[in-house]
Amino acid sequence: MPEAAIAEKTVELRILRYRPASDAEPSFGSFEVPCTDDMSVLQALQTIKDTLDGTLSFRWSCRMAVCGSCGMMINGKPRLACNSFLRHLPPGPVTIEPLNNFPIERDLVVTVGDFVKKIESIYPYIIPKEPKTVADGPYLQTPAQLAAYESFSDCINCMLCYAACPQFGENPNFIGPGAMALLQRYNGDSRDGGQQKRLDTIHGEDGVWSCTAVGICSEVCPKHVDPANAVNQNKTNSAFDFFLRFLRPGGAR
Amino acid sequence: MSERRPYRRPMQPHWWANPPYRAYTLRELSGVAVAIYGAVLFAGLISLARGPESFDAYLGFLRSPLSLLLHLLLLAAVLFHVVTWFQTLPKTMPKVIVDGKQVPPQTITQIATLAAGACSLILLLFTLWVAR
Repeated sequence: MPEAAIAEKTVELRILRYRPASDAEPSFGSFEVPCTDDMSVLQALQTIKDTLDGTLSFRWSCRMAVCGSCGMMINGKPRLACNSFLRHLPPGPVTIEPLNNFPIERDLVVTVGDFVKKIESIYPYIIPKEPKTVADGPYLQTPAQLAAYESFSDCINCMLCYAACPQFGENPNFIGPGAMALLQRYNGDSRDGGQQKRLDTIHGEDGVWSCTAVGICSEVCPKHVDPANAVNQNKTNSAFDFFLRFLRPGGAR
Repeated sequence: MSERRPYRRPMQPHWWANPPYRAYTLRELSGVAVAIYGAVLFAGLISLARGPESFDAYLGFLRSPLSLLLHLLLLAAVLFHVVTWFQTLPKTMPKVIVDGKQVPPQTITQIATLAAGACSLILLLFTLWVAR
């Protein structure tokens, strides 16, 4: 039977486990998983949970790189487990750890509270330049105006960029690449008038200035959002704002 | 009762020396070569202000094998800095939109590198023309 032939192939997964009730610190556990050519790392984890160890904890939802839930370190690189295929990884054991730079809650699950607070802090919605009623009609936008911010609206909040950012690792209060991409999505929108409000939240070391243009955040982004560009554009904006605030009515504080 | 006890893993102490961060570290380190180049030129300016003897000593230093070796190393490091700096450039500037489409980062890098090369060439030719 061909099924027996398929089941012969296995892959070893080394997974960093942490169970807060019983473990003092995380340690690696190893699993031998039967695998097929079309199997993703997420499917391998699901196989472990279903057949080998039901206590293994990890986040996932959409299985198609849209929801941003299954970010983890795969062989030391921040990646989505759902679009990392076993056949693309080098032969030998696959090392799986929770995302770098975040506190571990349990196994591959990390704390996201701080990241959500950062997202909330930058006014993640359109603040209309000129308020309109429904009767006034829609806010119009040209293709060029859309292109100015469109890539930044593709962010799925998977936090891979934070796991790749050594400056976020050194300073957990750094607002970081993901939140800055979202900020630029709104600040770059021709319909938005909240630029100054958002700029006021990102000055200083905990704002854009922890960034030293390492640039790996953009390389690991599964949606090609280029968060490094968002952060560095806003360094310029923050610097201009510092020097020009005296010229603004009511600007100097 | 909650079992919550978040565990924060320490940063790797030598993250900057290992891939993928090594390229970034080398790029930033090569900036030191630019500073040393500037310091060498500045030393020349100070020697010039001090008088002809001082400037001759400075020229003597420039002709020494040690200085030639230093300049060879600095030139290599600065060229590396130029190339990697313009690779980073598109990440540090606003998106350029032409005809409703974003200009690809590679195009910006190419144009900027060519412009820097052209400026250097013009400066070199001008210096040779003045010194002829």
